[in-house]
Amino acid sequence: MKRWFNNPVLAGELKIRMRSWRTVLMIMGYLAIMLAIAYLFLETSMQTLSRYGSVNISRDLGLQLYTILAVIQFMLIIILIPAQTAGSISGEREKQTLDLLLCTPLSSLAIVLGKMLSSMSFVLLLTIASIPLFSLVFLFGGIAPMDIITLFVFYLITAFAVGSIGIFCSVLFKKTVTATVAAYIVIFALGIITLLLGAYMTSEFAGKNPHFSGVYIAFPFYLNPAIGLFDLLGQQSGGTGGVGLTILGVSSAMYNANVAMTGGLSWMAQKLGVWGTNSVVISVIAIILLLISAWVVKPVRVLKTHSSKRHSADASVN
Amino acid sequence: MLVVEDLVKRYDRFVAVDHLSMTVERGHVFGFVGPNGAGKTTTMRIAATLLAPTSGSVRVAGFDVMEEPIKVRRKIGYMPDFFGVYDNLKAMEYLDFYGASYGIPYKERQKTAEGLLNLVGLANKRDNYVDSLSRGMKQRLCLARSLMHDPELLILDEPASGMDPRARVELKNILKELKNMGKTILISSHILSELSEMCDSIGIIEHGRLVVSGDVKNIMETVSGRLTVRIKLLDDMDRAINILKEQPLVSDIFQEDDMLEIGYKGKDEDLWPLLKTLVASDVPIISFSKTDGNLEKVFMEVTQDEEMV
Repeated sequence: MKRWFNNPVLAGELKIRMRSWRTVLMIMGYLAIMLAIAYLFLETSMQTLSRYGSVNISRDLGLQLYTILAVIQFMLIIILIPAQTAGSISGEREKQTLDLLLCTPLSSLAIVLGKMLSSMSFVLLLTIASIPLFSLVFLFGGIAPMDIITLFVFYLITAFAVGSIGIFCSVLFKKTVTATVAAYIVIFALGIITLLLGAYMTSEFAGKNPHFSGVYIAFPFYLNPAIGLFDLLGQQSGGTGGVGLTILGVSSAMYNANVAMTGGLSWMAQKLGVWGTNSVVISVIAIILLLISAWVVKPVRVLKTHSSKRHSADASVN
Repeated sequence: MLVVEDLVKRYDRFVAVDHLSMTVERGHVFGFVGPNGAGKTTTMRIAATLLAPTSGSVRVAGFDVMEEPIKVRRKIGYMPDFFGVYDNLKAMEYLDFYGASYGIPYKERQKTAEGLLNLVGLANKRDNYVDSLSRGMKQRLCLARSLMHDPELLILDEPASGMDPRARVELKNILKELKNMGKTILISSHILSELSEMCDSIGIIEHGRLVVSGDVKNIMETVSGRLTVRIKLLDDMDRAINILKEQPLVSDIFQEDDMLEIGYKGKDEDLWPLLKTLVASDVPIISFSKTDGNLEKVFMEVTQDEEMV
């Protein structure tokens, strides 16, 4: 573990990243967008509050603000991370620095992880920078500090999953532009396909089991971190204030104990909840993608199962 | 130090390296010469563990590049023909970054980096951003980078390309110093004269094959055992070539505008009958002179192909 964080690629990346004005401007832009949205929301809602002010409305407003901020931040991370990671390996290739890195004793996994952790630390920086904004929510109540920490952990897991797709594309495509476009297409296509497929499976299930009173969650939903986010938000707001899973036709009933759950991985969802299961599933996929990426980046790949004299094809042809 | 055995590298149908074998002795400077696209870079990349060979083997200090790449990487310092630098890193940090990649402790790598910046004459640029350095300086910095982990074998791919004459001289001096430090150096160039002075042995590669290799001295001797004659003509180039082709002692003929250059296996006293024959055949000769053999000649001879008449 210590070796991971004592990663020269990570240290170098952080140094280079934090030196550029682009990073500062990005953080400023990021916070400006969040602040503008929070301000607009509060400005319109405060009038409601001043007219019909009561503890309940105040609490709902807080939850709504929290949900809005959480969703915006989630979207910003989804939009920013591919741009951060899709250039990581292809950029080194374009700058002709990758070979220099590969002929050091650093393993290709260490290089890939260094890039990944550097992008994740950028997300961590963004989320930490947004804490003062999030603390606006505490003015209204309804959300505990622990909720925000859980949310941020979920952001990091999401960033890890989305980032691994970016890195994977960066390894597969030679040009950063192609890799970035491919990463966005894959991420958004996955987002839509998993939703549609999940919804289709849900309606299929409902058609076949008209008397089922529990909760059915189709497996594709676990591949989509947006589902995890809505579940988390729904859980945190007690299934009332937040968006929750109501959009998927799943009521807050499932947060009550003893609700029968079925569908793929329901055994895990029963223990970890939907967002927990979602985190596990996307993390596992991300780890697999990173391992494949490291394997592809490796310049000289020996298939151990074959005789040592036979070598696999090399990574780059030039 | 470096043993290449029957190395083959194929890209689909194109054969970049074709059954190449060679050995570089410890402490030697081996010049790797050949026209562009001959397979120099491919061979060097394989030796630098950046490319897998199709067949054959490369061993560095006894370690096979395929079986123990990490051990090989610790033994070699590789400087590619084209390389990039990171923006937003200072010269010192650049070296420090690579030092860290080799797992050298912070204090030690700082000391090594200072020493190397001195060696390559960039001590006064230590706090300059790398992208603000000139091309020659970047090349020297890259050389310093390849030395960070004190490798035994240096693989330098066209290190002098794009350097101005002054920078080339400086590079030569640095390489001499490295040789004195006992480093083994494999250096490539498509310009032979660049290498002839500083190499112990050279290998000439063409179409992926090593056509000539050996001691620079031996090769020079072989060449000087053969005469090169330059004949300048007013006209009648083709007739002159036909006559020359009939001469048993003429080994090869190169044509260059109105000039013919021939390899002649005879001795000095055999030369004048050749001139006599040409003059007797009414070939309009305006100049006939013997030139000293040099490495360029060997290079031209072994890489002749299309250029040959």
